[in-house]
Amino acid sequence: MRILIVEDEPDLLRALAQAFREEGYAVDTATDGEDGIFKAESWEYDAIVLDVMLPKLDGWEVLRRLRKTKKTPVLMLTARDQTRDRVRGLDNGADDYLVKPFDLAELLARLRALIRRTANQSRAAIEIRDVTIDTAARNISRAGESIALTAREYALVEYLALHRGKVITRTALYEHLFDENDSTLSNLLDVHVSNVRKKLGHDFIATRRGHGYCIES
Amino acid sequence: MIFNSIRWRLQLWYGLLLLGVLAGFGLTAYELQRGKQFRRTDDELRRRVVELGNALRANGPPRDRPPPRRPPRDRPDDEGQIDDGPPLRNPEERPDPFSRPPREFRLLPRQASLFDETDTSGFYYVVWSRTGAIIGRSTNAPASIPMPEYPSTPGPIPPRLRGTFRESSQSTPPGEILLAGRSIASDLDDLRRTGLTLAGAGGLILLVSLTGGWWLAGRAIHPINDISAAAVKIAAGDLSQRINLADTENELGRLGAVLNSTFDRLAAALEEQKQFTADAAHELRTPVSVVLTQTQTALTRERTAAEYRETVESCHRAAQRMRRLIESLLALARLDAGQEPMKRERVNLVTTTLDSTKLVQPLADERKVHIYYEVPPLECIGDAERIGQVITNLLTNAVNYNVENGEVRIAGETKNGSAIITVADTGPGIPAEDLPHIFKRFYRAEKSRTAGRTGLGLSISKAIIDAHGGALDVISESGKGTTFTIRLPKSD
Repeated sequence: MRILIVEDEPDLLRALAQAFREEGYAVDTATDGEDGIFKAESWEYDAIVLDVMLPKLDGWEVLRRLRKTKKTPVLMLTARDQTRDRVRGLDNGADDYLVKPFDLAELLARLRALIRRTANQSRAAIEIRDVTIDTAARNISRAGESIALTAREYALVEYLALHRGKVITRTALYEHLFDENDSTLSNLLDVHVSNVRKKLGHDFIATRRGHGYCIES
Repeated sequence: MIFNSIRWRLQLWYGLLLLGVLAGFGLTAYELQRGKQFRRTDDELRRRVVELGNALRANGPPRDRPPPRRPPRDRPDDEGQIDDGPPLRNPEERPDPFSRPPREFRLLPRQASLFDETDTSGFYYVVWSRTGAIIGRSTNAPASIPMPEYPSTPGPIPPRLRGTFRESSQSTPPGEILLAGRSIASDLDDLRRTGLTLAGAGGLILLVSLTGGWWLAGRAIHPINDISAAAVKIAAGDLSQRINLADTENELGRLGAVLNSTFDRLAAALEEQKQFTADAAHELRTPVSVVLTQTQTALTRERTAAEYRETVESCHRAAQRMRRLIESLLALARLDAGQEPMKRERVNLVTTTLDSTKLVQPLADERKVHIYYEVPPLECIGDAERIGQVITNLLTNAVNYNVENGEVRIAGETKNGSAIITVADTGPGIPAEDLPHIFKRFYRAEKSRTAGRTGLGLSISKAIIDAHGGALDVISESGKGTTFTIRLPKSD
């Protein structure tokens, strides 16, 4: 899962990015509206955390421009808690709204829900054959036994599981699993896929030659 | 309770006044009518009494004309003049009823036609002789008529009202008493009807007037009700309510306009206060978010010493920012409340500006901005520390919002009895649309949070200069820079 955080307060941005990375997200950051809209339009993010008060372009304007081209889920982050601000945010195409100061756990939960909803998945747990993926606890079990996966491996499984039955191209996987700071070595993805197959069974992820990867539903 | 209402009071006073006027008018009309009626009756009776006197004669042949010996009348219209027979030797002397033979009373047909004896409500007469015996009496005269008393001198006796009978009488010098009367029952009925008509008309007028008055008072009071209804809604917290000023020309319209403008100012002040509180909360939310997110992230697992250190530093910065904000808010609150009156002492502005310049110099060096100091010897009246605070704030802004290798110029002069300090920079200037708002609390031309700014500096500066009775103004030209001008009084 790849997230974009647009926030101009450096300390907050750094803390949020760290927290998200530790949750296994690939995180890109932007410190002003112009940079934010540029990145949001250039990449396929799974969600965008957008502050309202930003230099150059404010959050409303970023949202308005983004909605012309993309449906990326957006969680607005703002210090304004008046109803009319919330209504304005939601009416302008924001998918969720969180008022500062927020609880980090709540922000993470809302973000998970947002990503799940976008993938038409209403429940936190995804069951595929004998494998259960608990997206809330970020835990994968096979036949009742918990399987230890690295954050990147988990993200790979979660992404494919959320879009199960669909073939995901290698490019798309790269876009969603690695952030702008990762060096995208072409065989890194293959290494992760191979490790997951060892842990969850060889048939769990199918390879479509020349297309990409897929988890059959 | 009801008399606490202006409308009811107006109505009451108006009604009482109207009642008085109508009653006075009606009574006068009634009295005039009554007097006229009686006078006419009295005239008729008087004429007949005179004729009765003419019908008295000494025993002898009847005659149609007054005797030739009768002296010519000097006042022919004098109704009191009647044939009074042989005059008394002395008018003062009581007539002696037995000294002369009683006179005879006989009406001539012409005189008799004056009394319609067949009609009980017609004119009647009674004549008493000197001895008090009735010597003449019409058939229609009421049964018992008391003889009027002898007046002190012979002549007309004031007419009297006996029941429904009006009677006019006269004593003759020889001592007879002549009385003519008439039943005025129908006249009295007429009068009663007139009275009732007047009272009825008066009552009707009163009713119509009171109704009209009630309506008029209602119309006059209506705007007051509107005003009080609007005021009640506003008092209940609906500050968007205003008094409807459909009729702005009259006194109430003007009152409404005054109240509306008061409400406008009140609403604006409240809105400003609300905005200020929201802004203050907003400004505090971001550092709190930083602290929360930092600590929550740090606590999810064991960290290295360097990571903990970074978290603590970040929290420290957030706390510093909150402290600055709280101090600024407190300063503004005190200035607003006027709790900290400015000292009024002689301030050497050269010392003050030099101190401020020295304070800002390190920042200017860091930003590669050159400060030109051009303040001549200058003094003003005020609070040196506070004025220094303002100058430092303006200099800091001038350095921060400047370009690399830019200039800041601080100068002074005396103009119109005021000490003037100007702080000019060569920065990008303030956009014209932001210029009117820069002294507003939390207003930022640039919609971002630059570390270390509270958005209150200029508001505090303006409040301080205002408290000195001075003025803080700004002019700015896009691309050329901004100049702040402080105007301070040179003397009290």
